[in-house]
Amino acid sequence: MRAIRKYGVLYAMMLPVVIYFIIYGYYPLARGLQISFQDYKLMGERPYIGFANYAAVWHDPFFWKALGNTVVIGGGILVFGFVAPLVIALSLNEVMTAWFKKTAQMLLYIPHLLSWVVIGGMWIFLLSPDTGIVNLVLHKVAGIEPIHFLAESTWARWVMILVSTWKDMGYSCILFLAAIVSINPSLYEAARMDGATRWQLVRFVTLPQLKGTMKVIILLNTLGVLRIFDQVFVLRNPSTSSHVDVLMMYTFQKGIMEMQVGVGAAASFFVLVFTLILTLAVRTLTRFDEVE
Amino acid sequence: MKRKSGILMATLLAGSLLVSACSSGGGDTGKAAEGGADTGKQPEMKLRILSANVGGKTPDEMKQFEAEIKRLTGIDVTIEKPASDYDQKVLTVLGSGEKYDLIELSDLGKLDQFVGQGAVTDLSDFVKGSSTLSDPKVIPTAEWDQLKDKDGKIHAVFTKFQGGTMPIVRKDWLDKLHLQEPKTLDEYYQVLKAFKEQDPDGNGKNDTYGLSTSGLYDIQGFMSAAGLKYRYVMKDGKRTIPYASDEAIPMYEWFAKLVKEGIMDPNFVTNDTGKMRNLFLTDRVGMVTYWDAWVGMFNNLRKEQDPNTAFQAEAIASAAGPDGKILMRRGDPDFWIVPQNAPHVEAAEKFLEFWNSKDGITLGSLGIKDVDYTESGGQYTLTAEGKEHNMDHGVPFWYNENVKSPFDKLPGVEAAQELVKQNATLELALPGWPDAEKIVQNYALKAMSGEMPAADAVKKMREELKSANLIDE
Repeated sequence: MRAIRKYGVLYAMMLPVVIYFIIYGYYPLARGLQISFQDYKLMGERPYIGFANYAAVWHDPFFWKALGNTVVIGGGILVFGFVAPLVIALSLNEVMTAWFKKTAQMLLYIPHLLSWVVIGGMWIFLLSPDTGIVNLVLHKVAGIEPIHFLAESTWARWVMILVSTWKDMGYSCILFLAAIVSINPSLYEAARMDGATRWQLVRFVTLPQLKGTMKVIILLNTLGVLRIFDQVFVLRNPSTSSHVDVLMMYTFQKGIMEMQVGVGAAASFFVLVFTLILTLAVRTLTRFDEVE
Repeated sequence: MKRKSGILMATLLAGSLLVSACSSGGGDTGKAAEGGADTGKQPEMKLRILSANVGGKTPDEMKQFEAEIKRLTGIDVTIEKPASDYDQKVLTVLGSGEKYDLIELSDLGKLDQFVGQGAVTDLSDFVKGSSTLSDPKVIPTAEWDQLKDKDGKIHAVFTKFQGGTMPIVRKDWLDKLHLQEPKTLDEYYQVLKAFKEQDPDGNGKNDTYGLSTSGLYDIQGFMSAAGLKYRYVMKDGKRTIPYASDEAIPMYEWFAKLVKEGIMDPNFVTNDTGKMRNLFLTDRVGMVTYWDAWVGMFNNLRKEQDPNTAFQAEAIASAAGPDGKILMRRGDPDFWIVPQNAPHVEAAEKFLEFWNSKDGITLGSLGIKDVDYTESGGQYTLTAEGKEHNMDHGVPFWYNENVKSPFDKLPGVEAAQELVKQNATLELALPGWPDAEKIVQNYALKAMSGEMPAADAVKKMREELKSANLIDE
């Protein structure tokens, strides 16, 4: 009570944020949970039907297909989305020319600022089999016949993974670079005195010092891995949908397109539970809570 | 004292933020409630409409459109026309209990779903009792079957006459290359091949394609050659999908041949309809499959750009089947529904009668008097704005035989609509079609693009449809 009185102003200032989260976060969550147990109709009676919606999702082959796609595409984004910015950050750290370093950072970050609608439209154009620059270059350089990257199922998942990695690597790259800058210079100095090469400096000083940042980035990326939607929505087409439709696409399809709102809500709670399990697993594996 | 005043200030700040947030969202509800309270006091009718196509083209014109309805009917109308994601907006509106009196839709599958979800008012008695709507000259009696549910109840009223899709060809290219309009699949192949290989645009470059589509939209014109209709067909009470039958195999092989020989636009899988239209308008492709109304729009758009253009789009019939039968697709109609929670049903019914009358049709087609057109002594003249709006404010074509258009239809439209009337039929979308469509499109496109042998694609398509219990045989 004394603490409340002491910090009352601060608590009161927090109030709008707390109310915001209650209205836009927790209330929809609770309402979604309620709907997932209902035979939800747009109007009229909405009787409770127990776990019937969950059973419908569980026994739907499209749901499991979507889960498989999510694991492959999400896993790919997780791996490439971690490795690519790390490699670039380490490379940029070796660059001594300040203007080049800054320009490269800016260019890498720009795609992160653009919406998926813009990015999607751009890549559909770039990957076009007749006028797209990617196919033109492949044909000129290696004589490869045009590939329809977005229509062939063997390529579609790779396109999703690589375009997502390309779009967001600037963000993770900046986090890594910020962490690299804050590494104590005396560690490098000591290593150099011991005769460490450039690679050994990276291997035995930089990388171990980035451990904490790596954990944060892995955890943040893991939280979003089952919720990928925008890139799939923009880049999918009927020819590749069975290979790229992910869990959130399934939820969207059921809840919005087919108006089975109860089934859609149940599917979204599966996503929530899977995310929870995945996050806990990653926390345990990375020993996230351990203090270095 | 200082701390207390600090807490007070912060609470006031938080409170004011919440109040301002709430007040911005609650305005409409307040208005609706006000409208409801007024009805007992004043006879003035109010109406709130959610529209996809009907109305003005700009916010300013929408205001004028609302005022014109008020002038013609006495109803105080508010029309909301979302810029995008219309289907999601409709679902959100109905799911959240927001109150509209009329909602425009254009998908019979959605209508079935809404009826099943108890969201739509039964209009059977109103339609039967309305001297305007029950007049077969206003809306042909047989047309109402489209809007009936399985119990024969009518839940919607047409907004306009809906046409169909068909192959649209560059007639000027046909003439230039001395080719006849194709009738059989072989003739189609010869024409498309000539469009690819004989430089029909005369620019000296090999930069034209014979055919472009937007995914599987709409290959009915060619599948007709094998007598195959899209979506479901009931055979002896069993659900079948002709596109998943063995008869479809040679058709997919035909498309794969077009792709392999570079006759078909290779982007057909990823094209949206806008891209497909642009290819046709920019002399890149000689044939597309699209709506009847667009035959006129294509011709008009090119004419507007260049009055001396040779460009001439023309609708042609689908390839004839083995028995000489031509299959074409008629589009789902555009229609109004009255939501179950509509506060002003009486006004909505009055508007529905008006919308199918001469005044309503004139407003929905030509537009607003003295803005889109002027009228003097029975003579109509389109203004510059009216010409720009192509005589379409939600009703480019209509059923009412008593209302004649004061202007000719755009070039080519009349012939296209004649083809629709003669050959086009509605497609049957049973429950489960969204899931079935994913499977059909996936394998059909793979077979058409040559990614998978057609026979394998059809076999897998059928297996998946059967295992998901989406077809009976």
